Amino acid sequence: MGAAGTIAPEKILRELAEMWTALNKDAGGETDSALRACTLTLITLAEENEDFGAIGEAIAALMPQHPARTILVRLQGPGERQLSNRVYSQCWRPFGQKRQVCCEQVEIVASDKALSELPAVILPLTVADLPVILWCRSPRAACLPAFPAIAAMASRVIIDGEAFCSQATAGAKSKEQTAQIAMQRIAAIATKDTAVGDLAWTRLTGWRAMLSQIFENRQNLAALPGVTKVTVTAGGEPRVGAWYFAAWVMDSLADIGVHPDFRMESKAAASNQDLQSIRLEGPRWSAELSREGERFVATVNGVSQSSSLGRATDYSMMEEELRITERDPTFERALVTAQRMTEERK
Amino acid sequence: MPQQNPFQDPLRFERRVPECVVVIFGANGDLTKRKLMPALYRLAYDRRLSAGFAVIGISRSPMSDDQFREKMHEAVKQFSEDTEVQDDLWRTFAAGLFYVAGDIADAKLYQNLAAKVQEVEAQRQTGGNVLFYLSTQPSQYAPAALGLGSAGLGKGSGWRRLIVEKPFGHDLDSARKLSEELHQVFAESDVYRIDHYLGKETVQNILAFRFGNGIFEPLWNRRYVNHVQITAAESIGVEGRGAYYQEAGALADMIQNHLLQVMATIAMEPSAGFNANAVRDERSKLLRSIRPMTPDEIRQNTVSGQYGPNNIGGKELPGFRQEEGVNADSQTDTYAAATFFVDNWRWAKVPFYIRTGKRLPKRVTEIAIQFNPAPLAIFNGDGSDTSPDLLIVRIQPEEGISLKFLSKRPGAGMRLRPVSMDFNYGSSFGERSPSAYETLLLDAIIGDPTLYTRQDMVEASWQVVQPIQEAWRGTKFVFPNYAAGTWGPAAADEMLARHGHVWRKP
Repeated sequence: MGAAGTIAPEKILRELAEMWTALNKDAGGETDSALRACTLTLITLAEENEDFGAIGEAIAALMPQHPARTILVRLQGPGERQLSNRVYSQCWRPFGQKRQVCCEQVEIVASDKALSELPAVILPLTVADLPVILWCRSPRAACLPAFPAIAAMASRVIIDGEAFCSQATAGAKSKEQTAQIAMQRIAAIATKDTAVGDLAWTRLTGWRAMLSQIFENRQNLAALPGVTKVTVTAGGEPRVGAWYFAAWVMDSLADIGVHPDFRMESKAAASNQDLQSIRLEGPRWSAELSREGERFVATVNGVSQSSSLGRATDYSMMEEELRITERDPTFERALVTAQRMTEERK
Repeated sequence: MPQQNPFQDPLRFERRVPECVVVIFGANGDLTKRKLMPALYRLAYDRRLSAGFAVIGISRSPMSDDQFREKMHEAVKQFSEDTEVQDDLWRTFAAGLFYVAGDIADAKLYQNLAAKVQEVEAQRQTGGNVLFYLSTQPSQYAPAALGLGSAGLGKGSGWRRLIVEKPFGHDLDSARKLSEELHQVFAESDVYRIDHYLGKETVQNILAFRFGNGIFEPLWNRRYVNHVQITAAESIGVEGRGAYYQEAGALADMIQNHLLQVMATIAMEPSAGFNANAVRDERSKLLRSIRPMTPDEIRQNTVSGQYGPNNIGGKELPGFRQEEGVNADSQTDTYAAATFFVDNWRWAKVPFYIRTGKRLPKRVTEIAIQFNPAPLAIFNGDGSDTSPDLLIVRIQPEEGISLKFLSKRPGAGMRLRPVSMDFNYGSSFGERSPSAYETLLLDAIIGDPTLYTRQDMVEASWQVVQPIQEAWRGTKFVFPNYAAGTWGPAAADEMLARHGHVWRKP
């Protein structure tokens, strides 16, 4: 643990080096005792009142897929200036193998008053030549003045648009404006050097893949130019995810010169606020993708196929996001279109 | 009509799979139950198959569609190693399973099949695309293909492709004859000869490793490489397949196809692009560059072996000749080793040692590339290790790549000891690797034959292996010549010793 209120990055690096020596000593100094694995630096910002046990579990589950030096920042909020750290490792033994695989983890506790000092502390701790991903779980932190400098360290910032939506509710004059404000804030994070990923978009991957799959069938693909109406149904008032989905569908259709009428509907009785269905209709053809409990049902001209919807967890979404180290042009385009669609709806 | 699906997002989704019917001959067989159906179910589980995807199973046993579905359900439950069998998903998947009973030699089967294909196409909107999978005895490949042709099933409104399992003939002439018969119905570009080794992630990774990086290729030649060892060892015996194995042997069962393909992947020239023809052209060129052996070279550079009984850890293991269905005086090779040379500028005079066998100490498949020692050994004489630099590509288990080199031991003096720098596939990419059959089935449905074997490659392999096979057939071996659980016959060690080398103990 660093002395109260100070963190020396070189001391953390020394502790990390000592940790590796200790890990190998514990294993009797054999050459194959512990294997260091690292493909990126993952910085996680989370509020102190979050469930750190659950966050830790999600990060631990990510490590076999995306071995990383992780820097977990516990945000203490307003109050006394606070800055401290601890260093530890996370190791696992892949099934059937004798060697442990270990990743380095650094935990930093910082109050809002110390946030402006974070870049100077974190930058030396990032692993050279590998991507730096910032997972910002706190919409509040993203609005703080110190945030742009923290985000600038990362090649990619991952936020959750649905949480931004909740945060935006306070300032919104209408329900449409809630999603719109949230999307404006998300768009503002992106810079020339820093891409943005949104877990609200990640939650749509299953839906998008399933819709895309329908049009792998040449007969269905041939029917696409005849689509005259697209209806997206959200559970309750449409949130960021529903608008992203609608924007992506309309962008994709526009790419082949199809410009159908669009309706966004709300299903007030839905058990949750997630996306409920999408329907594409033409004069002699229709396709619908809908949620039925934990399953997707794809129905094309009366033929239905269902498959597992899969539960989106922090782990599953981050696992998908960490595979992408560059910009996601499809998302960036959907973000722009979704903002325009909410503006037009007003 | 749009040429491309506008909803594709290659950054997030897996490869596109067109709608089709897969017709499996031998649907009641082991391969279908253990590999094909679990692979297809996994593809459905991963949402890789199109909504109307269908399978028509064919075998002799009379069965209804529902009975076939039930049988396949049991197989998937039993043999899906890492995939949860969900009732809902299974019901959807099973709705696309159909069955036709009949004998491959009977023309009526193909008429019934044609009617079934038409019915399924109408019901599932599969667009006329049909993939035929011959999971049968090799002797039935040609009759099945010709039967499909005479029923008009070789052509249709969509594409028609044919997958054949090894062996592709039992020698050069039979391989050519088989191809000629298949070509009467299917063009060579529609014939997919499956070699499941090429579908393994780590074998594909050899291409990525060699041609995706700039630092290794300059070392990949006779100037720096001393020799290459390719090992495919199995700890098990013939496991009830004694009668089949007795006809094949290790040389034909493993070296002629899998291991020569692996060797081709390791030694081939860089292709102009990563497309099926470019990659297969280079593999084929390498196979044609392997020097066929003279009878005298076969005596010097090949070793045939057969395991005898042994007691390991208190367990009595039978010898090959004591296995069920095996003749008491069988001359079948359960172990084969060979030294090959590649006659091209890159590899001239570099030995490629290949060995494979059953009942060896462990199950391991790996390629070890041994580099030449430093030209001047300035650290010798101080208790330093002089182990050679090695690059090891592990195909199974613990898939990965290790580079072994010398490093100074900490402390006073300049003593060197070998250290290993490891890339472990599992720890760097913890995600599940698809099984070879998932990869290869998907490739065939998509129409990507890069990982499939072309006829000229099959012929080139037989040209290398057939002289050895003939020489061995004319030799009376004193078998067994290695005990179960050991690293093979002493003659295999002597073969390397003649070149000043020793086998690695993986």
